[in-house]
Amino acid sequence: MASHTTTHTEAPLDMSTWRKVPTKLVIAGIVLTVLGAGASLMIKPEHAEHAIPVLKQFGFSYLTAYVFCLSFMLGGLFLTLLHHLFDASWSVPTRRITEALASLAGPMAIAFLPIMGLALFAEESNPYKWMTHAGHENHAVHAKGALMTKAGFVVVSLFCLGVWWLLANRLRYWSVKQDENGSAECTKKMRAWSCGGIWLFAITLTIAIIMWVKALHVEFFSTMFGVQYFAGTAWVTIGTTYLIALILKRQGPLQGFAREKTFYFLGSLLFAFTVFWAYITFSQYFIIWNANIPEETFFFLWREQGSWFGLGVLLIFGHFFIPFLALLRIDLKLKVWWMAPIIAWAWVMHYLDVTYNVMPVLRPFGFMPQLMDLGILLLLVGLYVIYFVKSLNAHPVMPQKDPRIAEALDMYVPPASSKLAGAKH
Amino acid sequence: MSASKPYGLLAEFDKPADVMHAAEEVRDAGYKVWDVHTPYPIHGMDEAMGLKNSKVGWFSFIGGVTGYTSGMLLIWWTNAVDYKILIGGKPMFSPFGAFPPSYELTILFGAFGALLGMLFLNRLPRLNHPLLKHDRFKLVTHDKYFIVIETADPKYSPKETRELLEKLGSKRIELVEE
Repeated sequence: MASHTTTHTEAPLDMSTWRKVPTKLVIAGIVLTVLGAGASLMIKPEHAEHAIPVLKQFGFSYLTAYVFCLSFMLGGLFLTLLHHLFDASWSVPTRRITEALASLAGPMAIAFLPIMGLALFAEESNPYKWMTHAGHENHAVHAKGALMTKAGFVVVSLFCLGVWWLLANRLRYWSVKQDENGSAECTKKMRAWSCGGIWLFAITLTIAIIMWVKALHVEFFSTMFGVQYFAGTAWVTIGTTYLIALILKRQGPLQGFAREKTFYFLGSLLFAFTVFWAYITFSQYFIIWNANIPEETFFFLWREQGSWFGLGVLLIFGHFFIPFLALLRIDLKLKVWWMAPIIAWAWVMHYLDVTYNVMPVLRPFGFMPQLMDLGILLLLVGLYVIYFVKSLNAHPVMPQKDPRIAEALDMYVPPASSKLAGAKH
Repeated sequence: MSASKPYGLLAEFDKPADVMHAAEEVRDAGYKVWDVHTPYPIHGMDEAMGLKNSKVGWFSFIGGVTGYTSGMLLIWWTNAVDYKILIGGKPMFSPFGAFPPSYELTILFGAFGALLGMLFLNRLPRLNHPLLKHDRFKLVTHDKYFIVIETADPKYSPKETRELLEKLGSKRIELVEE
């Protein structure tokens, strides 16, 4: 309790020096991307035979960075849906944070355009081989023919992006409306959207990741693929929410609202999803290993080549064992100096997890990070943060008239009926 | 029947807030061997009593590590050493194949560790407790709140401890015998 009370007297955290960081990220991202593109264009013609076309490299770098950024939007949407579905009171103080993360659905739809463009119009540089090759050379591809067409790609992509935008937009709309009128109607509306939304969320996340990432290996089968991405997504977003809530608490807006239990519960969820990710990722590997069918095992055989093997081992330890052991203790889940590095580590691990799924298609012989990978990552993250901060600032950070505020603060408010009875006396 | 040894001082309180504040004072007075008994869990009582995090977690952890290790060793010894079985051309022993059963054993032994560790730390099972002889103490499952400071506490003194509890607002303080 002592440490808890001292934080109240601390001076508000000054973030003004950080204000320009997102813009700097964007600039650095553009510079690195141009440098990366220039470097690969300058490869001498005699080596050009083995070189990867700039546009192809761009496609894969962009896809990796995009899928990484998408995680925070989907994770934010998921946590918002979950808050309403469970009618939770503890997550009231973090609701606006996850709503603001989810509100990136619109910009993320626009950011998808380069991938869509490459998929539909590029020939040699197309990340999706099945777009340019007739898909009848093997049965596995042929069986997926109905979905794996250009029209199928466009329809699925637009449907997923549209559903996310709709859900994020509606949840945001009713949430902000409640700030004005405080009506319980708004909560009920959000709950109704969440009930349908969670199904749509699960379906769209799965088919989107199948279409955009798994289809890089169009012959591959895995029922775990969507869930595996989801597990990492929720994991990294819970950590990020923890950090944002912590900053907002220190800065002032969530002072007194985000409390010990808020951070303890977020820390516990982070721990739970560390285990969930490991469970799903291991299961995917184990089922394929056990069945031992060539149509599936090639996915991991590719990823045992060269330094990809090392990256796989790094993920086992870095994505699971280290955070697992680090988050075991109850008291450490509340320590900033302990949690902040873990969350930063989680960003790196999630990016590497996405890389592990995407990049071996481009460079089967080893993990070779490119300037362009980093450049596009910084560019998208920078733009993402700028939009997120704008979206978060547009409305009060604490939901103003949420019916569960008192509960979230562990305060007892007598029911309305007894208040009326009291007023009569 | 010879005269029994005193077990501790039992102080009765009427309200949860009273017992909570009293617990804080007893904690600050430096008592170590004492306890609070209430009809239901009171949030914040751990802190008011100055209780640290339970040590049961260590027992589960050790149980889990034992379970995982013994699962792996069992499968390795039986399948790859003692009686080799070749299945589907896979290695005699692979950590992947051995993982699910070892994982189950981790959970099983972890649960054993938690249960047995809890019983051990609580010194359970035991057949009787001095407090159970006390008639007023039965109200602990109804609407009364109790603090008991045991004579085993190094700071215990029949006079000063009683005065402290009186000062804290207890209406009824009694000496419980073993």
